Parts: sequence; structure tokens; C-alpha cells
Amino acid sequence: MVKHKKFLIGGIIIFLATGYLAYTGFQSSATYYYTINELLAQKGSIQGSNVRVTGQVAGDSVQTEPATLTMKFTIIDGPASLPVVYKGAVPDTFKAGIDVVVEGRLENDGVFRASVILTKCPSRYEPVKSS
Amino acid sequence: MASVGSVALILALIASVYSAIAHTAGGRRGTASAGARLSLVAVCGLVSVSTFILLFALITHNFRLEYVASYTSRSLPLPYLISALWAGNDGSLLFWAWLLAVFAAIAVLPKRTTGRELVPYASAIIMAVEAFFLILILATSNPFAELPAVPADGRGLNPLLENIGMILHPPALLAGYIGLTIPFAFAIAALIRQEGTDWLAPARTWVLLSWLFLGTGNIIGAWWAYVELGWGGYWAWDPVENAGLMPWLAATAFFHSIMMQRRRGMFKVWNLTLIVLAFNLAIFGTFLTRSGVLSSLHTFGESSMVPFFVTFLFVSFFGPMALLYLRRRGLKDETEVESLASREFSFQLNNLLLIGSVAVIFFGTVFPAISEAVRGVKIEVGRAFFNQVDGPVLLATLLLIGVCTLIGWRVSSTRELARKLLYALAAGAATAAVLFVFGIRQWYAVAAFAICAFVLFGVIYQWASENMARQRTRGEKGVRVFWELVRTNRPRYGGYLVHIAMVVMAIGVIGSSAFTTEKEAGLKPGQSITIDKYTLTYDTISMGDAGDKFVVRAAVSVVSGGKLIGVVTPEMYFHRSFEQPVTEVAIRSTPLEDLYVILAGWDRDGTAALKVVINPLVSWIWAGGGILISGGLIAFWPGRRKDPDSNGAA
Repeated sequence: MVKHKKFLIGGIIIFLATGYLAYTGFQSSATYYYTINELLAQKGSIQGSNVRVTGQVAGDSVQTEPATLTMKFTIIDGPASLPVVYKGAVPDTFKAGIDVVVEGRLENDGVFRASVILTKCPSRYEPVKSS
Repeated sequence: MASVGSVALILALIASVYSAIAHTAGGRRGTASAGARLSLVAVCGLVSVSTFILLFALITHNFRLEYVASYTSRSLPLPYLISALWAGNDGSLLFWAWLLAVFAAIAVLPKRTTGRELVPYASAIIMAVEAFFLILILATSNPFAELPAVPADGRGLNPLLENIGMILHPPALLAGYIGLTIPFAFAIAALIRQEGTDWLAPARTWVLLSWLFLGTGNIIGAWWAYVELGWGGYWAWDPVENAGLMPWLAATAFFHSIMMQRRRGMFKVWNLTLIVLAFNLAIFGTFLTRSGVLSSLHTFGESSMVPFFVTFLFVSFFGPMALLYLRRRGLKDETEVESLASREFSFQLNNLLLIGSVAVIFFGTVFPAISEAVRGVKIEVGRAFFNQVDGPVLLATLLLIGVCTLIGWRVSSTRELARKLLYALAAGAATAAVLFVFGIRQWYAVAAFAICAFVLFGVIYQWASENMARQRTRGEKGVRVFWELVRTNRPRYGGYLVHIAMVVMAIGVIGSSAFTTEKEAGLKPGQSITIDKYTLTYDTISMGDAGDKFVVRAAVSVVSGGKLIGVVTPEMYFHRSFEQPVTEVAIRSTPLEDLYVILAGWDRDGTAALKVVINPLVSWIWAGGGILISGGLIAFWPGRRKDPDSNGAA
């Protein structure tokens, strides 16, 4: 039984080490996921922290500036809207009218500076059938 | 014609339910009635008929079927017409049911030398799973649903999906998921009948097959994501990617730990738990891919399937766990781990680490759903979480490969072990020193590369010394020794090859995650951008029609060390029928690094927006993937000697 104990201790050490890694990893990368309304409601408290926001790209709101790889657009969710600025290569599936998730920070001027744009899958891979 | 497909599915459902009941009736006796076996064959035949009808409809553009109209068009080439079978939800579920029926027939119909008395219960379980999928298809996603009017053309496949990846990646992953049903069924049959080890032989074969499919599917998926912009690199820890990785890791743990049960009668409960876990992870994977409960890059829709899957997962997890508890007395281990320096102990560690990493990935994947349920806010964990947590865990697993290979079975002679370890450690230290001299200072990467060198040396050293031992005892020479060695013990050397593949892939992953550099710029023709040792000059942009698409192509010449080394042409396509561009990345690949050039946009005045990325060592990942698949095939391939394991593994 003494041997058994040794292995148990080994297992516990691995478990604790993994748990510790998970905890610190979680601390550094947990990101709140908001709707536009939720984001705007919390304005003060989350200014400057990394969050994800989901919304629909408003038609005709997309402006691109190839010289600086900058893109400006607005995402909407019902009556709520949020202007977004993004710099970088845009996913192929991005276009007006689709649902996107933007990750980044809300600046003081009310503009959301996105560092990542996540588009949902190509629509033909799986059209949304439910409501 | 289409209604025949639906009717065949209904008949298949009836036959599968009958088959499950009839097989259960023969379960205690250990022999199945003719009716039970016949109905299993009937299920296989009927689902095949449905599948071929759908395939025929896809190929002949029968747009009356909503499914055909949604995923294909007249201009789609034949391979993609076939791939439309798994492009959509309804078709992929039919594909699931069909493959399971085929696997069932292959696994249970031929005469087997061991585990014959397990077949009835195992068949009953497989048929129950089949029935579940048939109910799911008929209730929520019948691919034979017809449109009120026949459209002139279908909507076609998203041009982003027109890639060889679409033909190989989904079916490979699905086959991997589905294959795990068979070992699960045999394990549960053994548990019901209280029979010890007979289930291990068929289980090993099918887990290995599934592992091979899952591994291939994941690697092809990673490659596809890498060459096709928009999926964000070769691995993004997306829920759907994680869903494919978790059962693969569990399967890896499983076929390591069953070696202990077969040789030493250990880990009995653990092995049964593992296979239940692997099967549930496979179903969970199908569920994630198909239900859209978690936001993913891949797919959305079909929330009507949620209650079906939740019920199924509940039964298929807690049912076996309860059974395991009831049967716990008969599952006492025959021996205990003897020493810390034994292979048994290193296998135990390997299992803990692999399952630990599964737990972490699972936690990270479902966390948004949990936090939303508990606190009402959705919190996602990013890639950093997975990299930070699973990086060290998987690296430790890699280290263990090296240690384990050198240790051998049971307690090794300490002196021999110390000598081998010393050499391998020296190889690791030497690598670290060389990297340091070449100016690499990221300690994490240096340590990781040192571990890779340690493991690679360990495996190759062990292989070479076994080669030499055979040379001494058998007097064979040269290549022949090597060949004979591998031929006579394929599982072992296939395993060695897979271990080498893991190191090679790890080198690629470490290199590309620690040393990537990127730069973006808007350039006018003639302007350059310098990144690392490359200078890229944007020469011209050209636009024009090519078939059914409009192509924009930038020509960029690459100069390195004062010499022109090539011209790359990143492109963007615009398909006529799709309002969506397809960005074709230009990749200039060398063993040391990939130059990855993206045309991110352009302006009327000729300005082109370029994004240039240097991804070091990425080609090692694909090379490692190739070695992994060959190693798996060598380990899996049925041998000439009478091997119960190879039974039914055509």
C-alpha cells in the first residue's frame, strides 16, 4: 500500500500543477462576451479591458482604406449600434449583413478598436435554419 | 426516388430497433439468432440505399431536394458534388448513420477467434446507436425533404470550401468519431457479461483505426486552415477543432493503457472508463459540430437537436458508469505498479497527462456555456489559455515518450538505463547550447527544443540498439535487419515512428508559435517592405476574368541576401455567384520557414495592402503528419500471422 500512496501523491502533484496552469491561464485570457447593449451599459467599468462583442455588420457601413489596411464599420443589434475600427487582414467571409464577433477594447471616444474579427462559418457550410 | 430514400430510412430504423432487441435476447447465450444478424445486414443495406440515392441526387442535380439545392449547383465539379454529402447537416448525419452501419457489418459479421460471445451485446449496442441517429435524421434533419418548386440551379458550395480539404477532412474526422462506437460496444458487452479481456482485441483494432482517422482528419484540417485564409492559422483552439482533438487524445491514452491490461492485468477499470470517455467525446464532437451550442467558426443552426443529444450523452455516459460500479468486484487489478522506474509507471503518467490535457481542453471549450448558465455572463477563454495550459502538459507528455522508450518493460537495470539517459540528456543539452550560440534566447522555446532532441535521440537510439541486437542474434545484415525487425513487430515500430512524428510536429509547432513575425503595409507599385531577411517589392497588380470568377493578382518579387529568390502572387477571387472573396495566400515554403503573403485589399490607384508573415518550421508539422499517418498504418496493418487483433479490420 505504501507504493500506492506514492503514485497517489504523483497524481495529485500533476493534478495541482495542471490546475495551477489552468488558473493562471484563465486569469490572463478570460474574455467577457457581450451584446452591444450589455457593453454600452457597463461602459465605465470595462473601458480599456479586452472584451468580445457580437453583432451584425450594418449594411453600407463598411469603409476600407487599403493604404493603411484599416477598415471601419458599424455593428448593430436591434436598435443598439457600435462603431468599430479594425486594422489588418479581413476574413474572407466578412461582409455587410453577417454576424460577427469583434474582440478588442472600447475607447473613450466610444469607438471599439478591434484586434480580432471572428466571422462565423461560411453560410453554405451550414445555413441557419432555426430562429 | 427521393421518397424511396425516406422510406428506406424508416425501414432501417425499424430493422435497427428489431436488431438491437433480438441481439440483446441472444446476449446472455452469447450467440445471435439468424433474425438478429439478418436485420443488421438489412440496416446496412437500407441505409446504403438511402445514401446512394442522396449521392445520385447530388450528382444528377436533382434540385427538387432542398438539400441538393442548398449545397450544390450545376457548375460544381464532381468531387465537390460528392463532398456535398457531408457539407451540410442533414447529409453528414446520414453519412454518420451509413458509416456506422458499414462498420457494424465489418466488425460483427465475420467469424472472430476471440470475443465471439461478446458479439450479440455489442451488436445490440451498435444498433441502438444506429437507431438513435436514424431517429435524429427522421425527426430533425431529413435530407430527402423536397422543395415546393424545382429551382433552376442550386445555391452551390461556398467557394471557400472548394479545396481538397473539403473532400478529405470532414469524412476522416467523422469516420474517426464513428469508429469509436465499435470498441465502446465491445467494452460494454464485456462489462455486461463480466468477461475480462476478450474485448481488448477488437477494441484495440477499432480504436487504432479511429485514432488514425481522427489524426488524419485533424492534420488535414490544420493544413486547410493554414493555406486558406479566414480560419486563422493551422490551429485556433476553436470548439470544433477541440472536439476533434479530445477523442484523439483519449484514444491515444487508451491504446497505451490497454497494453498494461493485456500484459499485466492492470488498469481494468481505467481502460473501461477511457473507452466510455472516448466514445462520449466523439458523440460530443458530433453534437458540437452539428448543434451550434457553442459559438464556433465552423457552424451554426439546428438547435432542435439539442435535447436528443443531451439525452443520448446522459445515457451513454452514466449508464456505463453505473454498470462499471456494479461490476467493480470483478475488475480488481492482478498486479500493482512495482517501481517508479518502470514502464508501467510511465504509462500511468502518460495517461494522467493525456487525460489531464483533455480535461483542460474540455473545460476551456465548454466554459462559455457554464459561465452563462451559472452567472448569466458569457466568458470565453482565449487561445492563450489553451496554449499556456496545454503547452506544458503536452510537452511533458512528449518528454515522457523519450523516458518511456528508454526504460523498457518493468524495472530496468539501473546502470543500463542511466547510460542511455545520459546520452539522450547530452543530446538535449547540446541542442540547447547550439540554439543559445545561434542567439535564441526565448528560454521556453530553447527548453522545448531540448526536450525534442532528447526524445528524438532516445527513440532513434533505442531503435538502433534493437536493430543491432537482432543483427547479433540472427546474423542478418544491412537493410534486411531493419526490414525484418519492423515486419515482425509492426505495432512496436509503427509506434516508434508515431513517436518520432510527434517530435517532428512538436518542432514545427514550437517554431511557428514562438518565432512568427509579421508586417502589414499598403504599397504603391514599386514600393518595398522588408521583413527579417526578405525584401518584398510590389511590382504590379492584374485583374481579369477566369472562368466563373474574377481574379485580382498582385506580383511581388522577393529578394533575400541580395538575390532575387522568386516572385510570389497572392490573389483574391470573386465568384460570380457568391458575394464573397476568396483570398489565395501565396506561400513560399522551405524546411526552415514559410513566407506567407496575403493580398488583403487594393485601391483603384494601384495601392495594394499586403500582409507578410514569416512562419518558421511550419512544414515540419506537415512532414510530421505524414510520418504519423505512415506509423499508424504500419501499426494497424493486418499481419500475415494469425492475429486476432486484425480480425474484421479490412
